[in-house]
Amino acid sequence: MDAFMSFLTVFTQPELLLLVGLGTFAGVYVGAIPGLSVTMAVSILISFTFSWDVYPAISLMIGIYMGGVYGGSRTAILLNIPGAPSAIATAMDGYPMAKRGEAGEAIGTTTVMSFFGGFIGIIVLALAAPLVSDFALRFQPRDYMLLAVLGILLVGSLSTGSLVKGIFAGAFGIALGAVGMDPLTFTPRFTFDLQILRPGISFIAVMIGMFGVSEALLQLHHVNAPAIRQQINRIVPSWGTVRKHLPLSLQTSTIGVIIGALPGTGGDIAALMAYDHAKRVTKNPEREFGDGAIEGLVAPETANNAAVGGAFIPMMTLGIPGDAVTAIMIGALFIHGLNPGPMLMIDRPDMFWFITGALVMANVFMLIFGLTGIKLFTKIVEMPRAVLIPLIMLLSIVGAYAVNNSITDVYWMLGFGVFGYFMRLYGFPLGPVILGVILSRLLDDNWRRAIISEREDLSRFFHGIFTSPLSLVLFLAVVFIFVSQTPIGGWLKRAIFGRAKP
Amino acid sequence: MRNVVLGAVSALVMAAGAAVAQDYPTREIQGIIQWGAGGSTDTVMRSVTPHAEDALGGTVVMQNMTGAVGAIALNYVADADADGYTLLMGAENPMLYKVMGLGDRDYGDFIPINILARGTPILVTRPDAPFSDYAGMMAYIAENPGEVRFGSTGPGGLPSVVTAMMQTVEGELDVTFVPYDGDGPALTALQGGAIDVMPAVLGASIEGIRAGAMVPLAIFDTEASPFLPDTPIAPELNEGYATYLPWGPFFGVFVANGTPEEAVTALTEAYAAAVENQDFLDLMENRGFTVMNISGDEAQDFLSSWQSTTAWLLQDAGLAVNDPEGLGIPRPGE
Repeated sequence: MDAFMSFLTVFTQPELLLLVGLGTFAGVYVGAIPGLSVTMAVSILISFTFSWDVYPAISLMIGIYMGGVYGGSRTAILLNIPGAPSAIATAMDGYPMAKRGEAGEAIGTTTVMSFFGGFIGIIVLALAAPLVSDFALRFQPRDYMLLAVLGILLVGSLSTGSLVKGIFAGAFGIALGAVGMDPLTFTPRFTFDLQILRPGISFIAVMIGMFGVSEALLQLHHVNAPAIRQQINRIVPSWGTVRKHLPLSLQTSTIGVIIGALPGTGGDIAALMAYDHAKRVTKNPEREFGDGAIEGLVAPETANNAAVGGAFIPMMTLGIPGDAVTAIMIGALFIHGLNPGPMLMIDRPDMFWFITGALVMANVFMLIFGLTGIKLFTKIVEMPRAVLIPLIMLLSIVGAYAVNNSITDVYWMLGFGVFGYFMRLYGFPLGPVILGVILSRLLDDNWRRAIISEREDLSRFFHGIFTSPLSLVLFLAVVFIFVSQTPIGGWLKRAIFGRAKP
Repeated sequence: MRNVVLGAVSALVMAAGAAVAQDYPTREIQGIIQWGAGGSTDTVMRSVTPHAEDALGGTVVMQNMTGAVGAIALNYVADADADGYTLLMGAENPMLYKVMGLGDRDYGDFIPINILARGTPILVTRPDAPFSDYAGMMAYIAENPGEVRFGSTGPGGLPSVVTAMMQTVEGELDVTFVPYDGDGPALTALQGGAIDVMPAVLGASIEGIRAGAMVPLAIFDTEASPFLPDTPIAPELNEGYATYLPWGPFFGVFVANGTPEEAVTALTEAYAAAVENQDFLDLMENRGFTVMNISGDEAQDFLSSWQSTTAWLLQDAGLAVNDPEGLGIPRPGE
């Protein structure tokens, strides 16, 4: 009963309700601007809300978090610039839809699916938090490494066209991610004694440049082409559409919750994995993936919002952050005199239920704010290119600068923008580059941790993999996905199932 | 004529006002926090500074500037005008930059306004480890060389110093060090069984210990902790530790050398008063930090003694990049 009352706190106090709403609204727009991240917004809020009570402060932060994760999809769909790393996969099918004049439908679907995913995340948080966090804790360095390898195999899904070019792009991304001070030993790597390379290359700058600037440059090719007229009669997807994608969205939400709950991974990896999963299980998409498949929107958007609920699971049950934003929220709880940790659920169960309630409310607000104002937003793509291209450039520069208040990041961004333009011109996909940068650290750190733990003995390492059920499952998944993507997979299939059906 | 009178009057008022109040601060002060939002340095600085603002009668705008183990923030403040309007809010790391080859500046280039508090190192293990006390761990390590996995956070981090201390006192430990990004991720790994032992700060592990998810082995301090009265302190386990303790990571507020006396005095008084605030004392106690509240010569002495202990421990453990001797850091006790 107490739990239920705490859960309802947000709904019964208009002030808290207003703050959640305000946060969500701000979050949608913060998330939509590339470079302005939720992590940044929440850290600013820490000092801003320092003197407040804990409930209002957390309400505002949760709103921003939920709204921000969703907001990243806006610019991804409309301008092909993901507002946040977790919206990269959304751009791949969302932008082709906008180019065909279906931006309204894309945003509508995204919103409803984000709401759905967010809801699944919250339900899992409310009902199974201790269970999931126990499971998440069991991931050893070698399991994270296998997860990263699994992620790298997504290159196949993210490459449109030549797989070889995709592999090149992925390897390039991994190399980019390794530049800078080695995180485990603090030795400079690939820095060539240049001061500018020592802190590493900002991943956000690479992302904004490769997507934003390259898009602006590409648009210059047809600067005089008429702007695309957007039809906005169909915003909210029909019940039939939602029902058709229900099995897929349940699966991708589950991926989102689990990846979100793992302390070493977040919504960006969840969204990419979900996209890959969708591509694998969708037999006959109405449109090809990469050309505006609706499944390509459903999967990443359910997953990244489900990851929000997921990230709160280890935070609330163990005091361990599920991602960068929850790490800052743990700090906020400390500042407000709470002691996040395994005892929080026992000492202050009201806090857990309050946060769950606030998440529900934020999710509802996200749906409302997401579905309103679409008309205004789609006007952005209807603007003449002479206005649109400078706008993209402006957004990209502001975004890259805002990440670290560093002008160096702007140069990196512009450099990678030009490079990305040529990559696209010559048919190299950009998705795998970003995938490589995201996974580089995960793979590198955990492979080394795993092998150091086994005293640098490969046979002990494999013994570990084969004796742990979790590692074994992940290992088999890696083998299966790898084989199915190579010609060997085809031969095996024919050998086992006879002639492949025409 | 009227303007002249008006100007003279306002000048007089301003001068009188300034004389009555003070010449510092006349504008916003910038506080540069070396570490990210939500971390321990950030929490400590954001909790103490509002009280210092009250005492100072000015505003301090805090900003997190992370990167290069805090060196980016340190260089930023060192390169800013030494006028008392840019504060460095940092932790212990800069005192090891020279030894670890991370830079050629440290707090020697700064005037300590206040060393606020220090943390207490603690050695924790997981409940299902094959040992449950310090002696048991030592025996297990001796019998199973290379088998026990210690978490670490890179050379110069707290775990590296604590293990260096252990190796100096107990002799070579044949254990495997697994590096993590920080004590948070390492303590997570400890609970998942990926490592067996982790040297951490008391504050980071106290909640896990309360919940039974971690087991304390030894506290590296000269006095027992009020949180864990039953956990033995290191000098009880081996007298050799007494030479190096108390030792611990610390938090401090600094201004660049050459800052006007007046600003240093005003800031020192403000922060000294702020640390005494009950809210802050409660927060520090909750997180297991020992409040120090020292400034001036006392703080300088603390910093140099801390640096010499730590630098030589790292040197003797073979972790130092630059020889402390060559950097003019005396061996402790010399």
